[in-house]
Amino acid sequence: MIVGLNHYLVLSAVLFAIGFFGVLLRKNTLVIYMCLELMLVASTVALVAFSRYNNTMDGHVFVFFILTVAAAEVAVGLAIIVALFRRRQTIQVEELNALKN
Amino acid sequence: MNHELLKAAAESNQWLAIFPELLLGSLALLLLALEIILPKKQHTTIPAVAIIGQIGVLLYQLLHFNSVFVGHDTFAGLLHHSANGQFMRAFFLLASILVCVLGTIALAKQKMPRIEFFHIVIVVSAAMMLLAQSNNFILLFVALETVTVGFYILVSYFRTSPLSLEAGLKYLIMGALSSGLLLFGIVLLYGVAGNSTLPGSSADAMNFNALHTFLAANSHNFLAAVGIVLVLSGVAFKIGAVPFQIWIPDVYQGAPTPVTAFLAVASKAAGFSLLLILTQSVFTPYEYLTTPVLGLMAAATILFGNLAALTQHNVKRLIGLSGVSHAGYLLIGVVAAASQPLAIGAIGFYLFAYLLASFAVFGVMTHVAGADDADQELEHYADLAKTHPFLGAVLAIGLGSLAGIPPLAGFMGKLLIFIAAFKAGLHGLLLVAIVGVVISIYYYFGWIKAAFFETWRAPLLEGETDPRPVRTPVGVAAGVTLATVALATVVLGFYQGAFGDWLLSLKF
Repeated sequence: MIVGLNHYLVLSAVLFAIGFFGVLLRKNTLVIYMCLELMLVASTVALVAFSRYNNTMDGHVFVFFILTVAAAEVAVGLAIIVALFRRRQTIQVEELNALKN
Repeated sequence: MNHELLKAAAESNQWLAIFPELLLGSLALLLLALEIILPKKQHTTIPAVAIIGQIGVLLYQLLHFNSVFVGHDTFAGLLHHSANGQFMRAFFLLASILVCVLGTIALAKQKMPRIEFFHIVIVVSAAMMLLAQSNNFILLFVALETVTVGFYILVSYFRTSPLSLEAGLKYLIMGALSSGLLLFGIVLLYGVAGNSTLPGSSADAMNFNALHTFLAANSHNFLAAVGIVLVLSGVAFKIGAVPFQIWIPDVYQGAPTPVTAFLAVASKAAGFSLLLILTQSVFTPYEYLTTPVLGLMAAATILFGNLAALTQHNVKRLIGLSGVSHAGYLLIGVVAAASQPLAIGAIGFYLFAYLLASFAVFGVMTHVAGADDADQELEHYADLAKTHPFLGAVLAIGLGSLAGIPPLAGFMGKLLIFIAAFKAGLHGLLLVAIVGVVISIYYYFGWIKAAFFETWRAPLLEGETDPRPVRTPVGVAAGVTLATVALATVVLGFYQGAFGDWLLSLKF
C-alpha cells in the first residue's frame, strides 16, 4: 500500500476531531490544554502533506511559525494555570465557576 | 549626491511602510529598558512616556496618511496598504492611547507591576495594525496570535485576583480553540488552492490575491467552502458573534476594566477589519455561502446580545453583552457591503462612534470601580450624578450614544448602517436590528436611571459597611480625556461634515 495525500488528510482530520471534542468534553484543564495543542499539530500534519503534494515550500515554512506560536501559547497558558491553581487549589473546569451573574 | 536618487531610494524603502509599527515596537522595548535604568522613584513617569510616545506615533500616522504605499503591496505581497487600512491603524493607535490612560487609573488602585501592562498593550496594538493590512495568511495568523497571546496576559493581569485568572483561563481555552479552527481553515484553503490539477491554482496559495483568483475559477469547491466557513468561524470568535459568544460575559467581567475596554473596542474592530478584507476581496466568489451565514449570525447576535443584557446587574457583563449586539449591527454592515460600498464607510463611522462612546463609559467605570475590579454592580452607581456631576454627564452621553439616541454619534453610526442595509435590500435584518435597538434602550436607560435618579437607599445597620467603593476625585489627565471623548461624541453627532464624507469614501 502506498501512503498518499488522502491518508495524511484523514489522519489530520481524525486528530483534529479528537482535539476539538476533547476541548468540549474533558473536565481537566491540563487535558483540555493538550487537546488544544493536538488541534494545532493536526493542522501542521495536513499542512506538510499538502505542501509536499503541491510542491510548494510555504507550508513547510508556515509549520515553523505555527510551532513558535504554539510554544508562546503554552508558556502563557501554563503560567495562568499554575497561578490559578495557587489561588483556587483546583484546575477542574466545573469548579472554576466564580464568574457568574 | 543626487537628491532625486536618494528620494527614489527612500520611497522604495519598504520598511517605511510599517514605520509606525516599528516605532511602537521600539517604544515598547524602551519602556522595559527605562524600568531597569531609572531609579525606583521615577518609575511613575514611565506610563507618561508610553502615552506621549504613542501620541507621537499617532501624529506621524496622521501626517503620513496618504503615503506612497497606499494602494500597493509590500514585502512580496505580505501586506496590502489601503485607505481603509490606514484608517484602522489610526483607530488602533487611538484605542491603545485611551487604554493606557485608563490603565494608569486602574493600576493606581492595585498593587501590581505597572510597566509590563503598557508594554503588552503597545505590542498588541502594533500587531493589530499589521493585521488590518495583511494580505497573506501566514502574516494574518502570526499577527492574530500575537494579539491573542497578548490578550491572554492582559486579561489575567490582576494575578492576585482569582476572578481575573479564571477569566484569563476561559479566554485562553476559547481563544486557542478559535485559533485552531482558523488554522485548519487556512490549511484547507492552502491545500486546495495549491493543487496544480485544478484551474487557477497558484504556487503562492497563502497570498490573498492568488487565493482570490483560484476561488473565482472554482466557485463550488467543497473543501474550499469548508475552509472558508472555518476561517469565518475563527474570526467570529474574535468579534463575539453568536454562536461563538459564550466567552464574552465571563471574560469581560473578570478582566481588568481597561483590558475589557481594549477587548470590546480594539479586538472587535480588528476582527471586523479582517472580516471586511476577507469578504470584500478574497471570498467574493463564495458570496452565495458567506452572505447567508453572516446574515443569520447577525440576526442571532443582535437578538441574543440584547435579550441576555436585559437581566444583568453587573455592569461589566452588561456592557459585554450589549457589545455582542453591537457586533450584530456591524455584521449587518458587512453583509450589506457585498452590494453597497457605502457600507464600508458606515462600518468605519460606526466603529469610531463606538470607540468614543465605549471609552466614555469605560472611563467612568474605571473611576467608580473599587479595589475588587470584577465587582461592579448597577447599585454602585447610585448618587453618581449628585456626587460627581461630571462623571454622570459623561456616562449619560456615552450610554446614550451606545443606545443610538439622536443627536449623538452612535445614532449617526446606526443610521448609516441601516441606510446601507436598506439600499442592499436586507429588510428582514433591518427589522431585527430595529427591534434590538428598542430593547437596548431599556437596559441602557436602566443604568442611567441608577446613576441619576436612585438616591434613596436603606440606612446602614450597625456593623454593616457600605458595599459601594469609595469615590475618588477625578484626576486632570483622566478628566481631560473623558471630556474630549464625550465632547467628540456630541460634536460628531451634530456635524459629520468633511470627516463623514471622507470616511464614506474609504476603499480597499
